[in-house]
Amino acid sequence: MYILKNSFISITRNKGRNISIGIIILVIAACSTVTLSIRNTANNLVKEYEASHDIIGTISFNRGQLAEKFKGGEDAKKSNIEAFNNIEQLTLENIKNYGESNYLKNYYYIYTTSLNSDTLTKATDSYEYEVENKETSTTSTTKTTGGQNNEKSKGGPNGAGGERHTITNNNTTTIITRSKEKFQSDRNLTGDFELDGYSSYDAMTDFISGNYQITDGEMITDFSSFECAISSELATLNEIEVGNKITLKNPTTKKTYDFVVKGIYKDNSNADDSANMYSQSANKIVTGSTVIKTLVEDDSTLVTNITPSFIMQSEDVIEAFTQELKDKGLNEYYTLNTNLDELKNATQSIENVKTFATMFLIITLIIASIVLFVINVINIRERKYEIGVFRTIGVSKFKLTIQYILELLIVSIIMLCIGCLCGVFLSKPIGNMLLQNEIEASKTADEEVLNNFGRGEKLDLPMEMNIRGVAKVEPINSIDAVVDVQVVLQLLVIGILLTIVSSLASMISIQRFSPLTILKERS
Amino acid sequence: MGILKLENVGYRYKDAPKDKYVFKNINYEFEQGKMYAIKGKSGSGKTTLLSLITGLEKCTEGDVLYNGKSLKKMNLDKYRNTEIGIVFQSYNLLPRFTAIENIILSMDVSQVKIKNKKQRALELMKSVGLSEEQSKRKILKLSGGEQQRIAIARSLSYNPKIIIADEPTGNLDKETESEILKIFKHLAKDENKCIIIVTHSQSVCDAVDYIYELKK
Ligand SMILES: Nc1ncnc2c1ncn2[C@@H]1O[C@H](COP(=O)(O)OP(=O)(O)OP(=O)(O)O)[C@@H](O)[C@H]1O
Ligand SMILES: [Mg+2]
Repeated sequence: MYILKNSFISITRNKGRNISIGIIILVIAACSTVTLSIRNTANNLVKEYEASHDIIGTISFNRGQLAEKFKGGEDAKKSNIEAFNNIEQLTLENIKNYGESNYLKNYYYIYTTSLNSDTLTKATDSYEYEVENKETSTTSTTKTTGGQNNEKSKGGPNGAGGERHTITNNNTTTIITRSKEKFQSDRNLTGDFELDGYSSYDAMTDFISGNYQITDGEMITDFSSFECAISSELATLNEIEVGNKITLKNPTTKKTYDFVVKGIYKDNSNADDSANMYSQSANKIVTGSTVIKTLVEDDSTLVTNITPSFIMQSEDVIEAFTQELKDKGLNEYYTLNTNLDELKNATQSIENVKTFATMFLIITLIIASIVLFVINVINIRERKYEIGVFRTIGVSKFKLTIQYILELLIVSIIMLCIGCLCGVFLSKPIGNMLLQNEIEASKTADEEVLNNFGRGEKLDLPMEMNIRGVAKVEPINSIDAVVDVQVVLQLLVIGILLTIVSSLASMISIQRFSPLTILKERS
Repeated sequence: MGILKLENVGYRYKDAPKDKYVFKNINYEFEQGKMYAIKGKSGSGKTTLLSLITGLEKCTEGDVLYNGKSLKKMNLDKYRNTEIGIVFQSYNLLPRFTAIENIILSMDVSQVKIKNKKQRALELMKSVGLSEEQSKRKILKLSGGEQQRIAIARSLSYNPKIIIADEPTGNLDKETESEILKIFKHLAKDENKCIIIVTHSQSVCDAVDYIYELKK
C-alpha cells in the first residue's frame, strides 16, 4: 500500500517531469487511437466484404488439356473423336452430388435449355425466309455435288453430317449416301429461345451484379412453376406486358408450354459493343431450374447445359473440395475455378490502408518507446539519490521497481484516457478521409441489388429472397462506431506494455545500483 | 552474548590496491542496553565500518553476526527496515518528501505495527526539538541540524533494536547535542536498545559505556 502512496507523492512533487511525460503519452495515445480505429474499420470493411461476397467455385472445361491430347493428321482423327466423346457432360445429378459437401455453404446452378415458339418472334439481326427452288437435273455428265447440312445450330455433340453423291451415268441414277462421323465440339442449344433455369436467387449473378435489371414487374417467385422474366427487347418486339402469357414449343416433340411473364428486364451490360440491333440477352428467358427439369422429363433428348456454382465455406477448403470432386468422379478435363483472386483484388485497397495504419502504429510505438526510455534514463539519473535513500531504509529492489512503474502507469493511464478521447474526435475525419471510397461503395451496392430484382420499394422481402449481400448485411455508414471497447482495450494493453518496456531503464538501474555508492556520490 | 558481533572483519575498496585495507581484523561486540562510541581520525574508516554493520557493503574478510547469524544469510532489506535504525552522516532524507512524510515512510516500510503513525511521528519530532510547523516542510527547506534531527527521529520511529548513528551531533550545538544524548541514553537504559555512535566529540565519548577506536 505504501508503495502506491509513495507513487502518488512522487507524482505530485515532480509536476514538471510528469507533465512532459504525460504530453508525450497523450500524443501517442491519440495517434494510436486514430490508427487503431482506422485499422479496425478497415478490418471490418474487409470482413464485411468477405461476409457478403462468397468464394464461389465454378466448374469449367479445360480446353488446353484436351488440346494437348489432340493430334493432327488423318490417322489421329478417330482417336480425337473418341477422346472427346468420352468426356461426359455434367448432369443435374452430378451437380447435386457435388453440391452435397461439408466444404460448401451452399450451391446453386443455372440449368439451361432452349425452345422454339410459333407465336413469339425471335429478336435477331438476321432473318431467314424460304425461297422456292425448283431444280430439274437432266444432265448426262458426271457431276459431284457436296450437299452439306453442317449448320452449326443443328449439330449436336457428335451430330452426323452427311455427304451425298449424285452420280448420273448413262441415265441410270444411283444415289449413294454415306454418313460420316463428325467432330463438333459446339454444344450449342438448338432452339430460338434460351431458357435459363435458376436454382435460386443466388444463382442470378447477372441480376445481383446489375448487368440485368428488372424494369417492369418483378423477378419470378416460384422456381418450379411456369413463370418467367423476359428481356425488354423481346417484350417490345412482341408487345408483351407483365402478366401476359407466352407459349414456347419443343422443336422435336412439338409440345407447347405456357409461361406467365412476371417481369421484364433490361440488359445494362455494355460488353457487346458491336453494332447489332439486339443484345445477346435478347432471347434469354429467366425461369426456375425445376421448370427445365420438367421439360427434360418430357423429352430426354432436349439439349441442356448446366452451370453450377459452389459456395465455399472458406478459403481453406478449396483444395479439399477439389479433391472431393475428383473422388466423386469429376472428369479430369474439368477444373474447379474460384473467384478468390477477384475477391482479394477487391479488398486490396482497404488492405493497403490497413497495412499503412499498422505500419504507422508500429513506428509511432517504436519512437514512443525510445522517447519514453530516454526520459526514464534521465529520470533515474536525477533520482539516483532518492533510490539510494529508499534502499538504505530497507525498501527492497522489487518494491522500488514497482513503485517507479506505478508512477509511470498512473500518469500513462490518465493521459491515455485523455489521448483516447482526442483520438476519438480525430479518428472520424481522418478515417473518413482514408476509407471514404470503400465505405461509399459498400453502402450503395446493397441498395442497388434490390433494385435490380425489381423490389426497390418493397421493404418486406419474401422469405426465400435470400440473396447474399441483401438485407442480411448491414452497410457500414460511418466509422465512429469502431472506436469501441476493443480499441480502448487494445490501447490500454499497448499503453501498459509501453510503460513497462520504457520502465526497463529504471528496473535495470535499480537492480545495479549499490545504495552506498549512490549516497557517496552526492556527498 | 552480544546482539551484534564483528569477527575478524576486514575491508578493502574494490578499486584500491590489493593489500590496501581500510581496516583489518576488527573484533567488536555490541550488547543491548549499552551505548558504544566508535572513534577515529577522519578517513580512518568509521563510515566504512558502519556500512558493513548496516549491510550496505559486504565484508571483504570476516563476518558480521546479528543474533549469531551472519548478515550474508539474512534478508538485508528486512534487517535494515526493522532491526536497525541508521542515522547517516549526510542524513539521507528524501528531499521531495516533507519531514513527517520521511518519518512515516520508514514506519510504512518497516511493517512494524504502529497505531497512529502521524501522532507518533509528531511526538518523536517534538522530542528532538522540532515543531509541528517544521514537520510539514520539505527537507530542503530545513537547516542541516534540523535535517539531522529528523534523521534521528526517523531511525527511532519503528522501534529498532539497534541504533547506528554516524556523527549524529556533528552539526548540533552543545545544548541540542545533550538533548539527543539524553534520548539515546534513555533508549539504552530503559528500552534495552543497543546504541552505536560514530563520533569525534568528547562529550559523546563521555556519555557512552564503551569506546572503540579505529586506528590506521
Ligand atoms: N569508494 C571508495 N573507494 C576507495 N576508497 C574509499 C572509498 N570510500 C572511502 N574510501 C577511503 O576509505 C577510507 C575510509 O573512509 P571513511 O568514509 O570510512 O572515513 P571516515 O572515518 O568515516 O572519515 P570521516 O570521519 O571524515 O567521516 C578513506 O581513506 C577513504 O579515502
Ligand atoms: Mg565518516
